[in-house]
Amino acid sequence: MPARRQIDNGAASAKTTSSQATVSSIAAPNAPSNGGVADTTSTRKQPPPEKPSDVRRRTYVILSFWVIVVLLGLPIWWETTTIYRANLPLSEMLDWADGKACRPVFPLRISIQANSLHEQEAQNLLRLTQHALDDLNDFSGHHLRLQLSPPAAKETEKDDDGAALTIRLIPGESTTSTLDPYAPILDITYPPHTIPSPSSSSSSLATYVATQLRTTFAEEQAIISYLLSSHSMPSDHRPQGLTPEAADSLSKRTTRSLKYAPTYHLTFSLFTSGPLPSSWDIEAAIAEFMKPVLDVLSPIHNFTIDTQVQLYATPGVQSQVLTKEDLSSFINAAEWPLSPSIGGAPTINFIVFVGNQTIHAAPQGTADETDRTSQSWLIPQWGTVYLLPLPSDTTHVSAEKLKQSLLTFTSHLLSLTGTPQSGSLPLRLSTLARIRSADLLLRASSTLGSLARLALALPSISIPESVADGVSTTMSHLRLACETLGGPEGLAHARVAEAEAERAFFEKSMVGQLYFPDEHKLAVYIPLLGPVGVPLLLGLLNEIKAWRKRRRERAEHAAKKRE
Amino acid sequence: MDGSKVTLGRTAGLYAGAAVLRLALFTLFPGLPDLLTGRVEISTPVTSFKRLQEGLFLYNHNVSPYDGGVYHQAPLLLPLFSLLPSFATLPIFTYLLYIAVDLASASALIKIADSGEAGSSALFTSPRRQKRWSGFIVAAVFLFNPFTVATCIGRSTSVFTTAAILHAIAKAVAGAPFSAMVAISFASYLSMYPLLLLPPLLLLCYDRQPTSRAVKSGYQFATTNIGVVIAVLGALFQMSYFMTGSWEFLPSTYGVQLTLSDLTPNIGLWWYFFIEMFDSFRSFFLAVFWLHLSCYVGGLSIRIRRQPLVVLTLLLGLFAIFKPYPSISDASLFLAMVPLYRHVFPLMRYTFVIAAVIMYTTFLGPAFYHLWIYAGSGNANFFYAITLVWGLGLSLLVCDLTFAVLRDEWEVERPEMVGKDIRQI
Repeated sequence: MPARRQIDNGAASAKTTSSQATVSSIAAPNAPSNGGVADTTSTRKQPPPEKPSDVRRRTYVILSFWVIVVLLGLPIWWETTTIYRANLPLSEMLDWADGKACRPVFPLRISIQANSLHEQEAQNLLRLTQHALDDLNDFSGHHLRLQLSPPAAKETEKDDDGAALTIRLIPGESTTSTLDPYAPILDITYPPHTIPSPSSSSSSLATYVATQLRTTFAEEQAIISYLLSSHSMPSDHRPQGLTPEAADSLSKRTTRSLKYAPTYHLTFSLFTSGPLPSSWDIEAAIAEFMKPVLDVLSPIHNFTIDTQVQLYATPGVQSQVLTKEDLSSFINAAEWPLSPSIGGAPTINFIVFVGNQTIHAAPQGTADETDRTSQSWLIPQWGTVYLLPLPSDTTHVSAEKLKQSLLTFTSHLLSLTGTPQSGSLPLRLSTLARIRSADLLLRASSTLGSLARLALALPSISIPESVADGVSTTMSHLRLACETLGGPEGLAHARVAEAEAERAFFEKSMVGQLYFPDEHKLAVYIPLLGPVGVPLLLGLLNEIKAWRKRRRERAEHAAKKRE
Repeated sequence: MDGSKVTLGRTAGLYAGAAVLRLALFTLFPGLPDLLTGRVEISTPVTSFKRLQEGLFLYNHNVSPYDGGVYHQAPLLLPLFSLLPSFATLPIFTYLLYIAVDLASASALIKIADSGEAGSSALFTSPRRQKRWSGFIVAAVFLFNPFTVATCIGRSTSVFTTAAILHAIAKAVAGAPFSAMVAISFASYLSMYPLLLLPPLLLLCYDRQPTSRAVKSGYQFATTNIGVVIAVLGALFQMSYFMTGSWEFLPSTYGVQLTLSDLTPNIGLWWYFFIEMFDSFRSFFLAVFWLHLSCYVGGLSIRIRRQPLVVLTLLLGLFAIFKPYPSISDASLFLAMVPLYRHVFPLMRYTFVIAAVIMYTTFLGPAFYHLWIYAGSGNANFFYAITLVWGLGLSLLVCDLTFAVLRDEWEVERPEMVGKDIRQI
């Protein structure tokens, strides 16, 4: 609403004094047509001065608008548009990301059982082996520490002290070593004469044991050092001995395995090219051939399972013999009901395809095709396809016929989850736990670092309280994980830390405002507040001007009076 | 237009005519009420009859009517409607209730018009006041206005608010401040926005006090009457609380109006703006829109202090444009008040443009809504453009009426200027 509506004759005030004569001469003949209501002189004279009451009223009107703007508008503007930024421990977060806050150390305890040796001899052997190990080791983060298990220790209580590996020294004919396939035990036989005397400073047996240990843990060491080097760890923590080729093969392996998730969803699908077979004994087969591995993986991952059967499934490639190039397009992504992800968990697909297609053997067995057998292939980060040739009149696939495919799936599952390839299964799994905790720790740290950098780079981004909570939870769990690295609770803490860090980083209210520069604010405010604000401001300015003029006039008036 | 001698028979005939027209529309076209109820121009989320039935169903089944987030109307409407025979079996009683409410509004309007407050208030007497329409004509314009009829057939609950506001004004004009305050409290309870009419209504009551028991002190008068409003509203809220068993109705009714959480299209200007709004600025602009709506109250009350009824009329026009969920019912209330100013019509300059714009939007609005929602050949911008033009038409009418009233006042001060061109300096 116009705050001020001073109405006056249009002809009067528009004219300057110099043109008044002309106007009056033109206006004069028109005067009678006005019906004599107003005479000609009044059209030319200045409007009468405003009444003081009108002036006051106008001031009140303008004030009534400004009172609302100042008393209600400004506080509301302040309240609703200030960006809430919770305090984040930025420097600590950056320390974590730079690896300054935690030095990832994996102290692995190796216990030695030497029941046939005297205490003295065993201690001596232990000392020498430890020396040899320390000489061999170039990576301070991965640390093998030997301890002597009491001679009385029996099989039943051999691994309750949390040792990563137990070495059983057994007298024998020659120096050999075998890894127990079902328990973390390394059996070493030695000829009795190789026991070092208490005074000797070196021993071939000690060196042998040290070398064996090192070979056993070589892969774990390589993977962990690769992880550390791929994150921004300071160089003094970084191992030197990683050759480019080793790093290359490791990076290939990590890209093949899925990103860590607490739960994986396994989908077993039976696709048949014709109407048969239409049923399979998958539940029994899984329980028999796969469940044991899933059980041992359960401290690290949970698994959910579903199965499906699809008849008349057409593969993406129709040719009878599949070449290496065909394998990538074999999955008919458009028609096969393979949902990318059920729930929050990533899906691993295991496909049994019943048809008469075969895989063409590669011209020469190159090293990078080690995963491929003649019947199955692994699709990185996705799953496995197994071609199952069956007689065309089979209606039911028994568990026994599924055995080979499920064993393939199991071994592929291990490599899809990132399990190292060498060593016995218990060792591989404990190594997997350590690798995963290191990986999670590093990932959570780098997420913290990204969040800190984001908060620094965008001063206009809002940081809700939940993000600050997430960061503090992450850091406390990271600290705990760092202290207990290598053990099972280390993995649990690292899991919590990683989940919290991700949640904090992808906070919904933050992501929405990720990029909102100040120019945009102008574009938000101006279209509405501009047109509203201009009359308000001009009204206020005019009012202030008039008030100052009145005051000056009053002062002049008073001065004149005094003279 | 000689309307000073309205016989009882003529008024009764008018009421009968209006009632028969509505009953005929209800009964001869059985599909019409439901068709109109579904129109966004008539039913907004806070007045829709369909939503009222949903709330009524929940209420009758002992579920909180606000569960489900469909019902956003005042809780006390529910016992009123559940007292009536069920709408599904005997709709005639609901029809009769709506017709009665419309007639009540008309009778209040007759009282306002016949009091002559529009032409000569306590502080100002227009020289043109002789040229006015009688209450009979004003009521006829209201009752046979297609917008009013459509609102009644569409059974929008805003008719109750309309009746309450008109009765508040009629009581204020009649010099009964207490009744006026009670009526405006009911209107505010039903729709919240009428609370903004309180300052000019207080001025009107103050000016029209009967001389026998007039309160001289304006401060004391205002405090007493605001106390009445607070007491009545408090009692209504308490009753609602006892009825629904929780304070849940406050966020579901007034909260929805304040935060515009239901973005169903309507003829107002808010919904499109807040669909497009960045989330982080939403609360700020909600505040801006509400402040914009309320900032006219002070300015207009001060500027046109001598004619509080004009302020009420202009505010009703502004609310019909700028409130969060306007419908044609708000426009019909404003258009019911405008004929009271028949005497300043000759001073208005854009009557033709205004009439053309309002008719243009009345026909094109439903057409563009159809193109957008049903035919799919248009988009939201079509309908929004028409609502902008509708707002433009109504705001032209508000501005022109303001101009005419101010010029009328000004000509009393400067009698030599009557009939001459003017300009603002």
